[in-house]
Amino acid sequence: MINVIGVTKRFKNVLAVDAVSLSITKGESVALLGANGAGKSTLIKCILGLLDYEGIIEIQSLNIKENPKFSKSLIGYVPQEPLFYDMKTVDILRFFGSIRNADNNRINYLLDMVGLNDHKNKLSSELSGGMRQRLSFAIGLLSDPLILILDEPTSNLDAAGREDFLNLVKHSKECGKTVLFSSHRLDEVYFLADRVLFMKSGRVVLDAKPENLASLLGIKVKINLRIPQGSISNAISILDKEGIKSVNRNGSGLYLEVDEAQRMIPFEKLMQSGVPIDDFSIHESSMETVVNHIESNEY
Amino acid sequence: MRKEAGESLKNRWFMIYTICFSALALLVLMFSTMGGDIAGFSGFGRTAASIINLVLLFIPLIAVITGGLSISQERENGTLPYLLSHPIDKNEVFLGKFLGLLITIWFSILLGFGIAGAGVAIMGNQGEISGYLITVLLSVMLAAIFLSIGFLVSVYSRKASKAIGISVFLWLFFIILGDLGIMGTTVVMDLGIKQVFILALLNPAEVFKIASVLVLSPRFDILGPVGVYAVRTFGQQGVFYLLFSVMILWALIPLSYAYLAFTRFRKEEI
Repeated sequence: MINVIGVTKRFKNVLAVDAVSLSITKGESVALLGANGAGKSTLIKCILGLLDYEGIIEIQSLNIKENPKFSKSLIGYVPQEPLFYDMKTVDILRFFGSIRNADNNRINYLLDMVGLNDHKNKLSSELSGGMRQRLSFAIGLLSDPLILILDEPTSNLDAAGREDFLNLVKHSKECGKTVLFSSHRLDEVYFLADRVLFMKSGRVVLDAKPENLASLLGIKVKINLRIPQGSISNAISILDKEGIKSVNRNGSGLYLEVDEAQRMIPFEKLMQSGVPIDDFSIHESSMETVVNHIESNEY
Repeated sequence: MRKEAGESLKNRWFMIYTICFSALALLVLMFSTMGGDIAGFSGFGRTAASIINLVLLFIPLIAVITGGLSISQERENGTLPYLLSHPIDKNEVFLGKFLGLLITIWFSILLGFGIAGAGVAIMGNQGEISGYLITVLLSVMLAAIFLSIGFLVSVYSRKASKAIGISVFLWLFFIILGDLGIMGTTVVMDLGIKQVFILALLNPAEVFKIASVLVLSPRFDILGPVGVYAVRTFGQQGVFYLLFSVMILWALIPLSYAYLAFTRFRKEEI
């Protein structure tokens, strides 16, 4: 569906994208991760035909430089910060609908779908951040495109707005759309992505399944277990036998770090041995941890 | 184009501008029909002659600022790259914007002239209606010229504030300083009549002024020695056609340059 072949983009002396090659198949949902300045947004802008670049980008086997309008008609784009003309919501959809050949039925369907029907006569400046992002998503879907490209779409949303928005994207993914999105949040990656591409200094340095990300990067899950004082020594020896070494006493319990794939083992083994667990908490690795790990290691 | 025209027509500045222009045109009409025949003008002719001065101040200012903001503002807001992420190319964006804004400005001008013209007709004044209509034609041409100049400014401006600054300077240069410049250059360089006429052609506002007076006055000596020279050299009709052609060039050259610059810009300069 999307083929990027040896794409390089320079801004004067800065190499923003360095000979990137990747392929995204139909119906796949791919997350683009990386620190600020890693080249994610630049690569997205190249795929959208908004920047000149060296190399080849194909959408449905067609070179986008040779078929820019057709390629863009296959893509719905949701930017990080939606920027609209100060028009009514419905007029904005009509305007972009006229570019994307979407009729009024489609516009009304999308207004319903993104929950903006009651706000269709509001000016775009009167919409909340979440509503503006949903409007942007509706614009992206006007021509029912095969591909959705989202550039950090939830970075300006609150928790509720983010959840609403992610559900909309998930629904589109389930309807068969190919999704490419950049994000700064690991929970979004786990929720939406089938595949993760990690960019560092303009290059794709890691291509993995989300579930393998933590183990591939050697990132540990941190677990706090509250165990009665009398059982702590027993618990340490049980975990030690299972090869879980990084166990520390932590006030009223234990603090341990295990591989992502091993996260259930301490619970299983302690329960099988009759060690009571009064409470527990699990600290997932954050995107910051992942980014820091990749930035500080060679890939 | 429809979006640009529709948005502009709803824009409060355009509405204020249209109302002001219409109101001033009406005032001019009232004053110009109170007196008798002045300098050979009567009815429509006198109204049109008075409106010329209005036109020369208002239309270029509005047109050049509107053009100046057209692309620079969208570039600064970030709406231009977003628009271009849709299946639309830069040719369509440029031409759609230009035509949309041109139609809006023309609408304002025609409304102002229409009100004034209707007023003259209702008051029963008769005169050179053809002269009045040609003045309207020259006015819409003047708008096209300054809109084109504004677009050229806009294409090269990253910030809307910079575009406004340059646009206002150009307006000042062509409208206010233009006459002084020609006079000063003539005196300092001791230019002949032919050179002064050529110098006048370099200022679109001057070309508009000469063409309008030529249309409204049967006495071309009102234009002074330069007018006499021009009419004797090219004939009255010939001068008008020459001036009108120069106006077309003044509209086309900045517009074409702006179009080429915008469509051939490297994409990161959008």
